[in-house]
Amino acid sequence: MNHQNEVRPGESPGAPVLRATGITKRFPGVLAVDNVDFELRAGEVHTLLGENGAGKSTLASVLCGAYQPEAGAVYRNGEAVILNSPHDGLTHGIAMVHQHFRLVERFTVSENIVLGDPSIGQFLNRNEVDAAVAAVGEQFGLPIDPTAYIYDLAVGQRQRVEIVKALYRNADVLLLDEPTAVLTPTETEALFVTVRAMTKAGKSVVFISHKLGEVAEISDRVTVMRAGRVTASVEKTQLDRHELAHLMVGRSTETDAQRYASNPPGEPALVASEVSLVTGGRTVLKNIDLAVNAGEVVGVVGVSGNGQRELADVLAGLAETTRGSVTIAGVPLSHVGAKRARKLGLAFIPEERVGTGLAPSLSITENLLLTRSRPTFISLRTTRQEARELIDEFEVKAPGPNAACRVLSGGNAQKVLVARELKGDGTPPAVVIAAAPTRGLDIGAIEQVRGLLHDARERGAGVLLISEDLDEVLSMADRIVVLYDGGITLEQSRPYEDRSAIGRAMAGIA
Amino acid sequence: MNSNAWIISIGASLAAATPIVLAALGAILHERAGVLNLGVEGMMLIGAVAAFLAADAWGNVWLALLCGILAGGSLAIIHSLLAVTFRANQIVAGLALTIFGTGVAKYLGEPVNGVAISTSINEIKMPFVGNLPAVGRVLFQQDVLTYATWAAVILVSLYINRTRLGLALRAVGESPATADAQGISVARVRHVHVLLGGLFAGAGGAYQALARAPGWNQEATTNGIGWIALSLVVFATWRPGRALFGAFIFGFAIRSQFTFQAQGITIIPSLVLDILPYALTIIVLIVMSFGTARQRLGAPAALGMPFVRDER
Amino acid sequence: MISVKLERRLERKRFLVVSVPAMSIFAALVAGAVFLEATGRPSGAVLSHMAEAAFGSMDGITNTLGTCTPLIFTGLAAAIAMRMGLYNIGGEGQLYAGAIASSGAALAWTQDASTPFAITVVFVAGAVGGMVWILIPALARAFLGTSEVITTLMMVFVADRLLDYLILGSDSYWRDPLSVGFPKGERIPEAAQFAKWFDGSLVTVALPVAVVMVLVVWAIGWRTSLGFEMKVIGDSPNAARYAGIAQRRTIVVALLMSGALAGMAGATEVGARAYQLDPGGLRLSLGFTGIVVAALARANPFGAALVAFFLGGLQSAGRSIQAASDVQVPKSLALTLQGTILLFVLGGEIFSRYRPRVAFNAATPHERLGAEA
Repeated sequence: MNHQNEVRPGESPGAPVLRATGITKRFPGVLAVDNVDFELRAGEVHTLLGENGAGKSTLASVLCGAYQPEAGAVYRNGEAVILNSPHDGLTHGIAMVHQHFRLVERFTVSENIVLGDPSIGQFLNRNEVDAAVAAVGEQFGLPIDPTAYIYDLAVGQRQRVEIVKALYRNADVLLLDEPTAVLTPTETEALFVTVRAMTKAGKSVVFISHKLGEVAEISDRVTVMRAGRVTASVEKTQLDRHELAHLMVGRSTETDAQRYASNPPGEPALVASEVSLVTGGRTVLKNIDLAVNAGEVVGVVGVSGNGQRELADVLAGLAETTRGSVTIAGVPLSHVGAKRARKLGLAFIPEERVGTGLAPSLSITENLLLTRSRPTFISLRTTRQEARELIDEFEVKAPGPNAACRVLSGGNAQKVLVARELKGDGTPPAVVIAAAPTRGLDIGAIEQVRGLLHDARERGAGVLLISEDLDEVLSMADRIVVLYDGGITLEQSRPYEDRSAIGRAMAGIA
Repeated sequence: MNSNAWIISIGASLAAATPIVLAALGAILHERAGVLNLGVEGMMLIGAVAAFLAADAWGNVWLALLCGILAGGSLAIIHSLLAVTFRANQIVAGLALTIFGTGVAKYLGEPVNGVAISTSINEIKMPFVGNLPAVGRVLFQQDVLTYATWAAVILVSLYINRTRLGLALRAVGESPATADAQGISVARVRHVHVLLGGLFAGAGGAYQALARAPGWNQEATTNGIGWIALSLVVFATWRPGRALFGAFIFGFAIRSQFTFQAQGITIIPSLVLDILPYALTIIVLIVMSFGTARQRLGAPAALGMPFVRDER
Repeated sequence: MISVKLERRLERKRFLVVSVPAMSIFAALVAGAVFLEATGRPSGAVLSHMAEAAFGSMDGITNTLGTCTPLIFTGLAAAIAMRMGLYNIGGEGQLYAGAIASSGAALAWTQDASTPFAITVVFVAGAVGGMVWILIPALARAFLGTSEVITTLMMVFVADRLLDYLILGSDSYWRDPLSVGFPKGERIPEAAQFAKWFDGSLVTVALPVAVVMVLVVWAIGWRTSLGFEMKVIGDSPNAARYAGIAQRRTIVVALLMSGALAGMAGATEVGARAYQLDPGGLRLSLGFTGIVVAALARANPFGAALVAFFLGGLQSAGRSIQAASDVQVPKSLALTLQGTILLFVLGGEIFSRYRPRVAFNAATPHERLGAEA
């Protein structure tokens, strides 16, 4: 599609409305965005593509003023601008729709939309405001009831409110952070109609996603990010979903050391049969049949947001299935909860390390006790010694065993978590569920974590490795399944001869 | 039954409600901004003692009222400094303020314990309507501050629900991050409304000292009214109009037992009427915990939480 | 351009944990002195008189110990709730309920009982009374998520009115039928009246009981699986869910313990001081002060005992200066100082959590670049 004819007069066709050069943003212990250039032209949909933690949202937050970069500059219509807050962004016509909506639940739609708008005058004339809001909605094919309260609205409608909010304030650069992650397919279609209407009206959209199918459908241009850097930028004409998948998750330059089981698999350790899960009206897991045997690693690959998190929770006994059953060592998990699952020999490395897997304010020593069966009276002395040994063995950079886990960097926190789960208190685990165990870690830590997973398997554990990193899974798993849209769409065993089939399944190409 | 006794009782319970409503209005304003204030009791006491001492010294009731208001406000400044600027725990900070305010009020009030002042806020009989039977006695023979309080209820309600600043206030209390993203200064909104809360609480205390009990009684002058105001705020689900209504119920529950006793009615033990306001508040709180009621009526979502932008 | 920014400290420096509150208390005392001078009293004389009265003699110290005993209980009550991030601010009401229960039980069961039995009855009944009084807030918190702050507070006033009702408003079991003019509570049997140690001082068996409870609370909160789980829930409900900790049960148990401790303060007031249900005498805000104690002690039980000792000293000194002929300062000075200290410590807290950064040029590279363009 060629939008150049629709661009408003006065702007040169396809001129960049927003440009960023050399953007670098650091968080404690993490280089989230590393010297990135970005450009958005008038009337285009420019997609930021990449796996979780690649830096897409951080970059977008810099572009809208929510984060201030350590280095780099942002140019709006060719002029350098300083954005110290999202409000600054808004005054420059830049608005972001966050993944977690910035809406006041107890406000009506129009109250949310006019919040902070100085032009409405001192008094709130509800009829006037409601009419104005409804008019903006209509203009872009976004029917909303201005008098509805947010808490009564479904997720898709809330997103619509966010978009109308941006349009009402005359933003002409919209940054949509994973807008489809929370939408049903029908809602996604409606969103795309809106996006097209907006670009037709000369507005420009930054679309953040990791769903390749959608990206191909809506984008005029795609920029791929990995580990805080831009790895590729392609025009629509050159879009190839398979190639994009590779750019997103592949690490063709590095070869991972291969580690497979040295013994044939034993009895089924973890079995899910016909598991479905519905949360908030959305079916997030569809009829999953999966068995992990003792002494093998089963890899779950897929682009994130396809049900990985929910699958891990259900298998670990943290969430009840809507239908179907999960058993560990033959014992059904329903209604028994996480503690019982642990007694059956489960070890679980969750995606969120500090905050779920580790209690942030508790010390390393105390966190070692978190998932153990504890006697009524506990003494921290022996555990503290254990923590000390762990710190030495895994070269955890920490002030000491009494340091709160909150202060550890991501990699060091993960070492503590993985070591606790896999080394246990003597008894090796029978089942290990590891979600994104090496995401964001440096090479050395990655090797340690994988080594521990491998050892657990060699000692007879059934390991379920859930990861977005295809190379990691292929280098370790004895079998893999592909998770797409909540269901298993492909299953393969070693040796993996048809990598392209896996890539296609991950991208949702039948 | 003697209906006249009841009319007088209802009229008196409306007046008894005035200091509670004043303090509750203030508490609504600062809690709507997301700042929990357990210091209301302290602010009222300070306001009361300041007003009383001023009236005792200068004999001017309006000057005294002003002193009470300012005293409440100055305590509020300490609170907003702690709760907003220093991000202290709002529960402990509020209690600290109440302890401090109680201590200072009693310390300053000690020399005047038992002293009566000659001036006080007097009742005004409104022309014409004041002569209406029953209604006239109940509604139109109150003092000027009670009338002002009723007006304030309407004004505060309009302010919260019908103005741009009120919208910003509510946003700050519900979702400070959202308000911040829209360019609203969360800290400024909170400072201003905590101060307003203190001024109102001071006014309530001053009223109590000047109109309700025109003599200083060290133990009883405003004892516990701040806490009643706080429970009223919860009972009224942070809405001014309901606070006025609730204050009448509370005031009537407190007053009517005397009337019951005077009338020789003993079916309802005085204890039941006594604890009614608190029991109702607990019930409202528990009912508010359920699904949709929580969404519609619950406390401001950010109540008690300090706001710091992006601490990632 | 000069600007001051607050930067979060990643670690709490050990010396700050002591030095910051110490500086705050010093500043609070200076403020108190200024307040005294402003109200026309000799600050030096008053403050030294107070220090002398509280800690300067054997009598002073026993008075302080006796005064601090209920504060230890209420301080522990608040502390154990804070251990899991909950605020039981209704200790005052649980104290009243404990006093009602312990005086009632003493009247009922200790008539011809042995002293150890009677003392046990008084404390156990007090604990049960406190637990009953926190039950509704605890269940509402655990099962409905209702904030315990306001519910426990409301229960204070229900207890307060109940106290008046039992003695002044009805011919209840607690009321002395012979008290005609001004009604008062019936005296509990002698066996249940705690003996005053050290020649009639305020120190009784309640003090060692309080010390034992310090150890018990420390052991439960810091050395058992239950205490550990409380800490996890207080820190991160997500991590607690992940670890399979029974959150509801733990919340109820912890709050019941909190209520029981506050109830024991009420038992102390009955057994060691009033020997009856005494509404007027109970209203010393011991329960509210307990929250101050726990907050100043950062919820540590040993710290709570220490803080209670100092605040007990302050209160007992307050009574003394009121009576002293040479200074004659209202005893509410003690309350004022207590509030001042708490306000200053709270304000000072920020310096141990954040590091003030004074910047002479606040512009970041990003801003500088923007400014040049």
